[in-house]
Amino acid sequence: MFLLSLTLGLPIIAQEGFPLKGSWIGVWESNTQHGNDVLLVMNWDGKSVSGTINPGTDNIKIDKATLDPAGWKVHIEADAKTKQGGPLHYVIDGVIENLQQPNRAIVGTWQSQSGRGKFEAHRQ
Amino acid sequence: MEMNPLGRTLAVGSLGVALLFGATAAWAHHAIQGKFDVSKTTQLSGIVTYVDWRNPHAHVFMNVTTPGRNSALNWAVELESPVELEMDGWKDNTLRPGDRITVKGYPARDASRQVWGIDVRTVATGAQVFQAKLNSRTVIQTTSAGRPTPRWPDGHPALGALPGGADGYWTNPSKTVLQEDGANIKMDEYGALANISDAAKVAPMQPWALGVYVNRQQRQLRDDPMFVNCKPPGGVRQYQSRLGLQFLEDRARKRIFVLLGSGNHNYRIIYMDGRKPVGLVGGDDDNPLYYGRSVGRWEGDTLVVETTGFNEDFWFTNGGLPHTTDLHLTERFTRTSQDVLRYEVKVEDPGAYTRTWSAGWTMQWNGGGTLPIYFCQNNRQ
Repeated sequence: MFLLSLTLGLPIIAQEGFPLKGSWIGVWESNTQHGNDVLLVMNWDGKSVSGTINPGTDNIKIDKATLDPAGWKVHIEADAKTKQGGPLHYVIDGVIENLQQPNRAIVGTWQSQSGRGKFEAHRQ
Repeated sequence: MEMNPLGRTLAVGSLGVALLFGATAAWAHHAIQGKFDVSKTTQLSGIVTYVDWRNPHAHVFMNVTTPGRNSALNWAVELESPVELEMDGWKDNTLRPGDRITVKGYPARDASRQVWGIDVRTVATGAQVFQAKLNSRTVIQTTSAGRPTPRWPDGHPALGALPGGADGYWTNPSKTVLQEDGANIKMDEYGALANISDAAKVAPMQPWALGVYVNRQQRQLRDDPMFVNCKPPGGVRQYQSRLGLQFLEDRARKRIFVLLGSGNHNYRIIYMDGRKPVGLVGGDDDNPLYYGRSVGRWEGDTLVVETTGFNEDFWFTNGGLPHTTDLHLTERFTRTSQDVLRYEVKVEDPGAYTRTWSAGWTMQWNGGGTLPIYFCQNNRQ
């Protein structure tokens, strides 16, 4: 919740282009490997989505991200490492809520070999 | 100074300008369908309590007595913008508190006590008031075969008024919506589709862009950031406004200003000095803009303008066609006569569209007219 609390009160910049583009801050609940807070940065080059989860020293490159306009379904896959250095494959599935709002959200679930839980991130 | 109207107009414009970075703008004539149900009408009769004469829309508040109820209920009657109403001769004191009126209007979708006024009349005289003529407000009836195109001494067409000549500006666009040439999709003047199933025919959109466009249409354009957040009418949209625009050619410095009657005194600069359409290195070079970065050149009698560097914080056309930061507009301006400006645009945006597409329309010269002053929120305080 720390990341979320940092963003409270900050202005949200409108983004009327590709709906996934931008920075998203939220939680992947019960994630014992990378903590509850999550930050995603995604971009769109006209053909595919690229991006990073938790930019920084232990960032996770997004290997695959898709957006299906039919229902605004989001699918994200990324390979990371466990605290012990083992392989960890994340899969996030959700839908975009409040598509036309600046603070639209991706709401769904995350899962990996280490567990699963609720995922929710809001665009900043 | 070759262009003497420039300094005068810029001096006025600079009072409120936020150059290119677009601290607000907008003429804000959104599709009223977002707020009101235009498939129904309702009738009100009552007494005016207050006239709120502010952009983007004026409001008349009235007390309406309902049978079986002891106390009157206060209703809000929403009207066109004061700028539009004043162009047709209406004033904030056309109605006064205490006047008895009847109103026919579209009811609010949320069942609140608001209507969009389509017919407001005084009971005392039966006269209709606050009627905006909008697109029927004909400025000049001309054809391209009318008066000859004014020219500078070097033969280039003058896009605006010549030094020493009468002022004027371009208005009454023949189209206020954007769709690919030849599409002929029926939509209203705000870009709301008559039939949403026609959405894919409007322009060659990528699936996500079509989805966003359909969603905006299904929501009756109520999310339009030009209306909701006073965002500037960047891109093609600046040529879709009834409030018009004005070209000021600063030929000495090889630049052309495009002043908007609809954008809180925003203006756009077209550089004619051969520079590339990029920002200042180490400065704003990575900062995309509402009006992008424009460079122009003359091809015969046509000014050709290439613009890139748009941000994604606005709708670049009425109706909500999406765009991305990859948007590249090639605009062609041809003053075919004194009174007609031909506008043609080629849209390239590989982030949102599957191929390049084009559209075009004309604007009319309002000779002697002064560009309307419009501020999105409250221009009286």
